[in-house]
Amino acid sequence: MEPLAPETIYDPTPDLLRPGKLLRDIAHDFVAGRELAWRLFLRQLRGMYRQTILGMFWVFLPPIANTAIWVFLRSRNVFDFGDADAVGVAAVHTTAYILTGMILWQSFVDALQMPLDAVNSNRGMVSRLNFPREALILQGIGDLFFNLLIRLLLLIPTWWFFKVPLHGSMLFAFPLILLMVLYAVGVGLILVPIGSLYHDVSRFLAIAFPFWMILTPIIYVLPNTYPSNLLNWLNPASPLLVGARDFLLFGNTEHGWALLFFGLAAIPIFLVGLIVFRVSIPALIERMNN
Amino acid sequence: MSFKSPDTILEVDHVWKKYCRNLRRAMWYGLRDVAKQVFPQRPANAPPQSLLRPGEFFAVRDASFSMKAGECVGLVGANGAGKSTLLKMVNGLLRPDAGQIRIRGRIGALIELGTGFNPQLSGRENVYINGAVLGLKKHEIDAAYERIVDFSELSEVMESPLKTYSSGMRMRLGFSVAAHLRPQLLILDEVLAVGDVAFRMKCFQHFNDLTEQGTSIVLVTHAVGMLPRVATRIVVCTKGQIEFDGDVQAGLTVYEKALVEQASKQSSQHGESPWKKAFVENAEVLNASGSAGEEFQTGDELRLRVSVNCETAVPGARLIVALRSPVTETIASISTSYHSFQFDLRPGESQFVLVLRDLPLLLGAYFFDVSLYGPELIDFCHRRTGVGGFRIVGPPIDVNGNGICGLLRIEHRWEQGS
Repeated sequence: MEPLAPETIYDPTPDLLRPGKLLRDIAHDFVAGRELAWRLFLRQLRGMYRQTILGMFWVFLPPIANTAIWVFLRSRNVFDFGDADAVGVAAVHTTAYILTGMILWQSFVDALQMPLDAVNSNRGMVSRLNFPREALILQGIGDLFFNLLIRLLLLIPTWWFFKVPLHGSMLFAFPLILLMVLYAVGVGLILVPIGSLYHDVSRFLAIAFPFWMILTPIIYVLPNTYPSNLLNWLNPASPLLVGARDFLLFGNTEHGWALLFFGLAAIPIFLVGLIVFRVSIPALIERMNN
Repeated sequence: MSFKSPDTILEVDHVWKKYCRNLRRAMWYGLRDVAKQVFPQRPANAPPQSLLRPGEFFAVRDASFSMKAGECVGLVGANGAGKSTLLKMVNGLLRPDAGQIRIRGRIGALIELGTGFNPQLSGRENVYINGAVLGLKKHEIDAAYERIVDFSELSEVMESPLKTYSSGMRMRLGFSVAAHLRPQLLILDEVLAVGDVAFRMKCFQHFNDLTEQGTSIVLVTHAVGMLPRVATRIVVCTKGQIEFDGDVQAGLTVYEKALVEQASKQSSQHGESPWKKAFVENAEVLNASGSAGEEFQTGDELRLRVSVNCETAVPGARLIVALRSPVTETIASISTSYHSFQFDLRPGESQFVLVLRDLPLLLGAYFFDVSLYGPELIDFCHRRTGVGGFRIVGPPIDVNGNGICGLLRIEHRWEQGS
């Protein structure tokens, strides 16, 4: 006898009342959406730079431009870089220090904005077709790592030029970068429902990011005395970014506990983000035609 | 709970869906609905009517129907009847507020052709992207690629960027990719206005082949004229409810009647002539014996009694009656001046009767627009639209065109040419 085709039931019961099934469905759609994510990734990659002269250079440009601005301002003593000697920052050149931080910050910002951008730029698809929406997140993560990889390549000549010493332990930076991206994507996913309904969120983020960057020790040295260091550790962007930069530049970090805490928090935040994203989609589609 | 019948593929069971048209309220309710999903409670066993919040209404109300394997159901209704909302729930895009939808097997949906297309990329690249968006795997697209290109009739331009295609070519490409899905249930929403007549015929043939292979199809369209060619059944939605579920021809007259009722709401328009207070008061359909009637057979006699009223005399007045179908707009326009039927309107009410002998109209619903003019066509006095609605209920037509089919019965004969 021919096996019966699988049944699908749609009813008003919230998915979270069947958490086991919900998690299985998310996992299934991640697997089922791989191929679509790959196609969308290729579409994005081939389409994005096809009508440009500078092509991939546009990936490098934002951190280079930002770094150039801040290095210039630093050279004019417009802001206080902090006590470089006290934390061993003097071992590397300011430009390498700021550029490394700026690349990580750019990735953090991109990761935080990615889920909302993914939904908003694919509204037609999301509201008209039933496909594994997790593919959009997978594609977004693929874009993030691709851009990060390209930007990290920029560090090779920079480090060589400014004679940044290489350490084997700098490889520890990569799991931290992964956790930083997951953490930021998770927060971005949690923001999707409100951000998709109210455009205030994206407008607010556009204004908040420059201030947030100033509050994050990218263009200055992390203060190591209380209470001036408190603001940095209350800043959720700070620990993983600072930790990854420390490993990349110095091969070690002084902030192990904070890293452990935020690193362990990244995975549950990402999972919570995925669940919020998944269960909120039908309610958001309902309002996408408004 | 299981399916009522083993060969049932879709069961829509007392489904309700509410909706809010006010943007600010809809956003706020959206946020609250998301919160209910994130911090869930078991749905209360309350009657669906109690779910409505201020500003909301039911876009779908207590809808129930089912489909068996190999059926092709036409889902029709006027704008705002709830058919697209119902379809989105069947497709899993929206969640019912009450009731349940059960589906057996894989669903494919053609709701917007070419979703995911990138104009910068070639036709070939877009076939792979669109296929992936619709749930096809690479090896499935590889296997179907030549058939997709053949079906679209675009083989010569597949390597050109999509932005060089006309909108019709894009639609054909999107349709061809989607037409090669192999789901158990295929949902088609307003996608059959694709290409020229020959391409449309090919699409119909393709859908007939799919249903013969056991695929069930739900077809939403306003171009109902082609439904008899493909649909085995029709479901008519009116104001969120299922008004009719059954035979295609009978369903179409129900649908057109609903359209006529909608059209007759837009009823009156005054002109700027010197006789502003002359107007068409009413128009009523009568049968050959002079009594009011709404249902006729092709070939019957129909009389339209027009009542006109005016405060001051209108010399050399004329009436123009437009016979209309909600599907194809104006079918014929009939003027009193054509037969040199001259009349002067005197103050008060006057009545005129238009006699249509041997009605050539075929199955469907029809109505009239009646306009009153002074002596010249620039002397427009008043127009009443959507009046005198009636239906042709027989005889049955032959959907394959082997006899009479379409809107009109045209007397004809064939001769052997030399």
